[in-house]
Amino acid sequence: MSTEPKQDDNQDCAEFQGRMPELFGAETDFSKEDHLESCENCAELVRDLNYIAQQAKLLMPIHDPAPAVWDKIHAALQTGESKTT
Amino acid sequence: MAAPEVNAPPAFPRLEDGLENTLDGAETKGPQQQLTPGPTAPKPPTQHLRRNPPIAGEAEAIAAAQGGDGRAFETLYSLHKRRVYSLCLRMLGNVAEAEDLTQEAFLQLYRKIGTFRGDSAFSTWLHRLAVNVVLMHLRKKGLPQVSLEETLEPSSDDGPRKDIGARDLQLSGSIDRVTLERAVENPPPGYRLVFVLHDVEGYEHNEIAGMLDCSIGNSKSQLHKARMKLRDLLKSGLRKETRE
Repeated sequence: MSTEPKQDDNQDCAEFQGRMPELFGAETDFSKEDHLESCENCAELVRDLNYIAQQAKLLMPIHDPAPAVWDKIHAALQTGESKTT
Repeated sequence: MAAPEVNAPPAFPRLEDGLENTLDGAETKGPQQQLTPGPTAPKPPTQHLRRNPPIAGEAEAIAAAQGGDGRAFETLYSLHKRRVYSLCLRMLGNVAEAEDLTQEAFLQLYRKIGTFRGDSAFSTWLHRLAVNVVLMHLRKKGLPQVSLEETLEPSSDDGPRKDIGARDLQLSGSIDRVTLERAVENPPPGYRLVFVLHDVEGYEHNEIAGMLDCSIGNSKSQLHKARMKLRDLLKSGLRKETRE
Protein backbone atom coordinates (compact mmCIF):
# COMPACT_ATOMS: atom_id res chain seq x y z
CA MET A 1 0.00 0.00 0.00
CA SER A 2 1.39 3.33 -0.98
CA THR A 3 1.30 6.12 1.57
CA GLU A 4 2.46 8.76 -0.85
CA PRO A 5 0.63 11.98 -0.07
CA LYS A 6 -1.44 13.56 -2.78
CA GLN A 7 0.24 16.39 -4.62
CA ASP A 8 -2.15 18.88 -3.03
CA ASP A 9 -1.17 17.67 0.42
CA ASN A 10 2.52 18.38 0.02
CA GLN A 11 2.12 21.99 0.98
CA ASP A 12 0.20 21.05 4.10
CA CYS A 13 2.86 18.48 4.98
CA ALA A 14 5.63 21.03 4.44
CA GLU A 15 3.81 23.56 6.58
CA PHE A 16 3.14 21.06 9.34
CA GLN A 17 6.62 19.60 9.31
CA GLY A 18 8.07 23.08 9.36
CA ARG A 19 6.23 23.67 12.63
CA MET A 20 7.26 20.35 14.13
CA PRO A 21 10.39 21.55 15.99
CA GLU A 22 8.33 24.17 17.78
CA LEU A 23 5.42 21.79 18.35
CA PHE A 24 7.68 19.20 19.91
CA GLY A 25 9.55 21.88 21.84
CA ALA A 26 6.27 23.10 23.30
CA GLU A 27 5.19 19.53 24.12
CA THR A 28 2.11 20.04 22.01
CA ASP A 29 -0.81 17.65 22.18
CA PHE A 30 -0.62 16.34 18.63
CA SER A 31 -4.07 14.82 18.83
CA LYS A 32 -5.40 18.32 18.31
CA GLU A 33 -3.52 18.83 15.07
CA ASP A 34 -6.04 18.65 12.25
CA HIS A 35 -3.42 17.81 9.66
CA LEU A 36 -2.62 14.52 11.36
CA GLU A 37 -6.19 13.31 11.00
CA SER A 38 -5.86 13.32 7.25
CA CYS A 39 -2.16 12.60 6.76
CA GLU A 40 -0.92 9.22 7.82
CA ASN A 41 2.65 10.02 6.77
CA CYS A 42 2.95 12.95 9.11
CA ALA A 43 1.11 11.04 11.82
CA GLU A 44 3.62 8.24 11.51
CA LEU A 45 6.46 10.73 11.59
CA VAL A 46 5.13 12.16 14.84
CA ARG A 47 4.71 8.69 16.31
CA ASP A 48 8.25 7.74 15.39
CA LEU A 49 9.81 10.88 16.79
CA ASN A 50 7.83 10.56 20.00
CA TYR A 51 8.93 6.96 20.24
CA ILE A 52 12.59 7.89 19.77
CA ALA A 53 12.31 10.58 22.45
CA GLN A 54 10.64 8.15 24.84
CA GLN A 55 13.22 5.44 24.24
CA ALA A 56 16.07 7.91 24.70
CA LYS A 57 14.84 8.65 28.21
CA LEU A 58 15.31 4.97 29.01
CA LEU A 59 18.94 4.88 27.94
CA MET A 60 21.06 4.21 30.97
CA PRO A 61 24.76 4.66 31.51
CA ILE A 62 26.26 1.46 30.20
CA HIS A 63 29.87 2.32 29.68
CA ASP A 64 32.58 1.98 32.30
CA PRO A 65 35.82 3.87 31.83
CA ALA A 66 39.01 1.86 31.60
CA PRO A 67 40.78 1.29 34.93
CA ALA A 68 43.61 3.44 33.64
CA VAL A 69 41.36 6.51 33.95
CA TRP A 70 41.31 6.24 37.72
CA ASP A 71 45.03 5.47 37.75
CA LYS A 72 45.67 8.77 35.97
CA ILE A 73 43.32 10.70 38.25
CA HIS A 74 44.95 9.15 41.30
CA ALA A 75 48.42 9.95 40.02
CA ALA A 76 47.43 13.53 39.25
CA LEU A 77 45.96 14.03 42.71
CA GLN A 78 48.95 12.46 44.40
CA THR A 79 51.30 14.86 42.70
CA GLY A 80 49.00 17.83 43.09
CA GLU A 81 48.90 18.20 39.34
CA SER A 82 45.20 19.01 39.43
CA LYS A 83 46.08 22.39 40.86
CA THR A 84 47.19 23.53 37.46
CA THR A 85 44.95 21.58 35.08
CA MET B 1 33.69 -0.96 47.54
CA ALA B 2 34.77 -0.28 51.07
CA ALA B 3 32.86 2.32 53.02
CA PRO B 4 34.58 5.70 53.07
CA GLU B 5 36.67 6.35 56.13
CA VAL B 6 35.31 9.66 57.25
CA ASN B 7 38.00 10.27 59.83
CA ALA B 8 40.90 9.05 57.74
CA PRO B 9 43.65 11.58 57.04
CA PRO B 10 43.62 13.19 53.60
CA ALA B 11 45.26 10.97 51.01
CA PHE B 12 45.68 13.77 48.46
CA PRO B 13 46.98 17.32 48.73
CA ARG B 14 44.37 19.88 49.76
CA LEU B 15 43.48 22.37 47.08
CA GLU B 16 42.39 25.88 47.81
CA ASP B 17 41.21 27.29 44.53
CA GLY B 18 37.90 28.91 43.87
CA LEU B 19 35.89 27.24 46.57
CA GLU B 20 33.40 30.08 46.52
CA ASN B 21 32.29 29.01 43.07
CA THR B 22 29.27 26.88 42.37
CA LEU B 23 28.29 24.97 39.30
CA ASP B 24 24.69 26.06 39.16
CA GLY B 25 25.24 29.06 36.98
CA ALA B 26 27.28 31.25 39.28
CA GLU B 27 30.81 30.61 38.18
CA THR B 28 32.90 33.65 38.94
CA LYS B 29 36.22 32.72 37.47
CA GLY B 30 38.06 30.09 35.51
CA PRO B 31 37.16 28.42 32.24
CA GLN B 32 33.67 27.49 33.35
CA GLN B 33 32.77 31.14 33.14
CA GLN B 34 32.66 30.95 29.38
CA LEU B 35 29.97 28.32 29.50
CA THR B 36 27.59 29.81 32.01
CA PRO B 37 26.46 33.26 30.86
CA GLY B 38 25.09 35.18 33.83
CA PRO B 39 21.71 36.60 32.79
CA THR B 40 20.65 33.44 31.01
CA ALA B 41 22.28 31.00 33.42
CA PRO B 42 20.20 27.85 33.33
CA LYS B 43 18.66 26.48 36.45
CA PRO B 44 19.51 23.01 37.67
CA PRO B 45 17.71 20.50 35.48
CA THR B 46 14.69 19.26 37.35
CA GLN B 47 14.10 16.31 35.03
CA HIS B 48 17.24 14.74 36.40
CA LEU B 49 15.44 13.94 39.60
CA ARG B 50 14.07 10.87 37.95
CA ARG B 51 17.60 9.55 37.67
CA ASN B 52 18.93 10.71 40.97
CA PRO B 53 17.70 8.35 43.60
CA PRO B 54 19.60 8.55 46.88
CA ILE B 55 22.79 6.50 46.82
CA ALA B 56 23.74 4.71 50.00
CA GLY B 57 26.90 6.15 51.47
CA GLU B 58 27.09 9.04 49.04
CA ALA B 59 26.36 11.81 51.52
CA GLU B 60 29.03 10.53 53.88
CA ALA B 61 31.51 10.22 51.03
CA ILE B 62 30.79 13.78 49.88
CA ALA B 63 31.32 15.17 53.36
CA ALA B 64 34.53 13.23 53.79
CA ALA B 65 35.82 14.16 50.33
CA GLN B 66 35.09 17.81 51.08
CA GLY B 67 37.39 17.35 54.03
CA GLY B 68 40.11 16.02 51.77
CA ASP B 69 39.60 12.30 52.28
CA GLY B 70 41.10 10.61 49.25
CA ARG B 71 39.37 7.31 49.83
CA ALA B 72 36.02 9.05 50.00
CA PHE B 73 36.81 10.73 46.72
CA GLU B 74 37.59 7.34 45.23
CA THR B 75 34.23 6.16 46.51
CA LEU B 76 32.54 9.04 44.69
CA TYR B 77 34.48 8.13 41.57
CA SER B 78 33.29 4.55 41.81
CA LEU B 79 29.70 5.64 42.31
CA HIS B 80 29.62 8.08 39.40
CA LYS B 81 32.30 7.01 36.92
CA ARG B 82 29.92 5.07 34.70
CA ARG B 83 27.43 7.89 34.36
CA VAL B 84 30.06 10.55 33.75
CA TYR B 85 31.94 8.41 31.25
CA SER B 86 28.74 7.43 29.45
CA LEU B 87 27.83 11.08 29.14
CA CYS B 88 31.25 11.95 27.76
CA LEU B 89 31.20 9.06 25.34
CA ARG B 90 27.73 9.83 24.06
CA MET B 91 28.52 13.48 23.58
CA LEU B 92 31.89 12.86 21.97
CA GLY B 93 31.57 9.49 20.26
CA ASN B 94 35.26 8.86 20.87
CA VAL B 95 36.63 6.55 23.57
CA ALA B 96 40.01 8.25 24.02
CA GLU B 97 38.48 11.71 24.28
CA ALA B 98 35.77 10.43 26.60
CA GLU B 99 38.37 8.93 28.91
CA ASP B 100 40.45 12.11 28.90
CA LEU B 101 37.43 14.24 29.73
CA THR B 102 36.21 11.84 32.38
CA GLN B 103 39.60 12.29 33.97
CA GLU B 104 39.35 16.07 33.64
CA ALA B 105 35.82 16.09 35.04
CA PHE B 106 36.86 14.24 38.18
CA LEU B 107 39.93 16.40 38.63
CA GLN B 108 37.65 19.41 38.47
CA LEU B 109 35.35 17.68 40.91
CA TYR B 110 38.24 17.31 43.31
CA ARG B 111 39.01 21.00 43.06
CA LYS B 112 35.41 22.13 43.36
CA ILE B 113 33.77 19.62 45.65
CA GLY B 114 34.10 22.08 48.51
CA THR B 115 31.62 24.33 46.70
CA PHE B 116 28.89 21.69 46.66
CA ARG B 117 26.22 22.87 49.06
CA GLY B 118 23.53 20.31 48.42
CA ASP B 119 21.14 22.69 46.67
CA SER B 120 20.68 20.04 44.00
CA ALA B 121 21.41 16.34 43.90
CA PHE B 122 25.13 15.66 43.85
CA SER B 123 24.83 13.63 40.67
CA THR B 124 23.03 16.54 38.99
CA TRP B 125 25.76 18.90 40.10
CA LEU B 126 28.52 16.54 38.98
CA HIS B 127 26.74 15.92 35.70
CA ARG B 128 26.59 19.62 34.99
CA LEU B 129 30.28 19.89 35.73
CA ALA B 130 30.99 17.05 33.29
CA VAL B 131 28.78 18.62 30.61
CA ASN B 132 30.70 21.87 30.96
CA VAL B 133 34.00 20.04 30.65
CA VAL B 134 32.84 18.38 27.43
CA LEU B 135 31.38 21.59 26.02
CA MET B 136 34.57 23.49 26.70
CA HIS B 137 36.53 20.76 24.97
CA LEU B 138 34.21 20.87 21.98
CA ARG B 139 34.41 24.62 21.81
CA LYS B 140 38.16 24.44 21.67
CA LYS B 141 37.76 22.10 18.72
CA GLY B 142 35.08 24.30 17.17
CA LEU B 143 32.74 21.42 16.51
CA PRO B 144 29.48 22.69 18.00
CA GLN B 145 29.72 26.05 16.31
CA VAL B 146 30.28 24.47 12.92
CA SER B 147 27.46 22.07 13.43
CA LEU B 148 25.11 24.77 14.63
CA GLU B 149 25.76 26.73 11.47
CA GLU B 150 25.36 23.64 9.36
CA THR B 151 21.95 22.95 10.78
CA LEU B 152 20.80 26.40 9.77
CA GLU B 153 21.69 25.78 6.14
CA PRO B 154 18.83 24.63 3.92
CA SER B 155 19.24 21.05 2.86
CA SER B 156 17.35 18.25 1.25
CA ASP B 157 16.43 17.14 4.75
CA ASP B 158 14.29 20.21 5.18
CA GLY B 159 11.57 19.25 2.73
CA PRO B 160 8.42 17.44 3.78
CA ARG B 161 8.92 13.76 4.51
CA LYS B 162 6.87 11.37 2.43
CA ASP B 163 8.24 7.98 3.39
CA ILE B 164 6.61 6.37 0.41
CA GLY B 165 5.68 2.80 1.09
CA ALA B 166 7.41 2.76 4.44
CA ARG B 167 4.43 2.27 6.69
CA ASP B 168 5.22 -1.36 7.20
CA LEU B 169 8.40 -0.37 9.04
CA GLN B 170 7.04 0.84 12.33
CA LEU B 171 9.65 2.03 14.77
CA SER B 172 7.38 1.58 17.77
CA GLY B 173 8.22 -1.71 19.39
CA SER B 174 10.85 -2.45 16.77
CA ILE B 175 13.95 -0.97 18.33
CA ASP B 176 15.57 -1.86 21.60
CA ARG B 177 17.88 0.19 23.74
CA VAL B 178 21.02 -1.35 22.31
CA THR B 179 19.93 -0.44 18.80
CA LEU B 180 19.13 3.10 19.83
CA GLU B 181 22.39 3.34 21.77
CA ARG B 182 24.30 2.43 18.63
CA ALA B 183 22.27 4.82 16.52
CA VAL B 184 22.95 7.69 18.91
CA GLU B 185 26.65 7.32 18.18
CA ASN B 186 26.15 8.00 14.49
CA PRO B 187 24.68 11.48 13.96
CA PRO B 188 27.11 14.37 13.47
CA PRO B 189 28.41 15.89 16.74
CA GLY B 190 26.15 18.93 16.65
CA TYR B 191 23.00 16.88 16.27
CA ARG B 192 24.14 14.34 18.80
CA LEU B 193 25.01 16.97 21.36
CA VAL B 194 21.54 18.46 21.64
CA PHE B 195 19.87 15.06 21.43
CA VAL B 196 21.98 13.66 24.27
CA LEU B 197 21.53 16.76 26.40
CA HIS B 198 17.76 16.97 25.90
CA ASP B 199 16.41 13.50 25.29
CA VAL B 200 18.94 11.39 27.17
CA GLU B 201 20.09 13.69 29.95
CA GLY B 202 16.85 15.61 30.42
CA TYR B 203 18.01 19.21 30.04
CA GLU B 204 15.43 21.75 28.92
CA HIS B 205 15.82 23.81 25.76
CA ASN B 206 16.45 27.00 27.71
CA GLU B 207 19.23 25.24 29.59
CA ILE B 208 20.78 23.90 26.40
CA ALA B 209 20.53 27.30 24.75
CA GLY B 210 22.40 28.78 27.68
CA MET B 211 25.05 26.09 27.57
CA LEU B 212 25.58 26.28 23.82
CA ASP B 213 25.13 30.03 23.43
CA CYS B 214 22.41 29.53 20.87
CA SER B 215 18.75 30.44 20.71
CA ILE B 216 16.06 28.24 22.17
CA GLY B 217 14.64 27.93 18.67
CA ASN B 218 17.97 26.68 17.42
CA SER B 219 18.09 24.10 20.19
CA LYS B 220 14.61 22.90 19.24
CA SER B 221 15.56 22.82 15.57
CA GLN B 222 18.72 20.83 16.23
CA LEU B 223 16.89 18.37 18.43
CA HIS B 224 14.28 17.85 15.76
CA LYS B 225 16.90 17.26 13.12
CA ALA B 226 18.74 14.88 15.40
CA ARG B 227 15.58 12.85 15.94
CA MET B 228 14.90 12.87 12.21
CA LYS B 229 18.43 11.69 11.58
CA LEU B 230 18.05 8.94 14.12
CA ARG B 231 14.74 7.94 12.59
CA ASP B 232 16.42 7.62 9.22
CA LEU B 233 19.19 5.54 10.73
CA LEU B 234 16.81 3.29 12.61
CA LYS B 235 14.50 2.83 9.61
CA SER B 236 17.46 2.03 7.42
CA GLY B 237 18.47 -0.62 9.93
CA LEU B 238 14.98 -2.07 9.93
CA ARG B 239 14.88 -2.16 6.14
CA LYS B 240 18.24 -3.92 6.10
CA GLU B 241 16.98 -6.48 8.62
CA THR B 242 13.85 -6.99 6.53
CA ARG B 243 15.89 -7.70 3.42
CA GLU B 244 18.17 -10.19 5.18
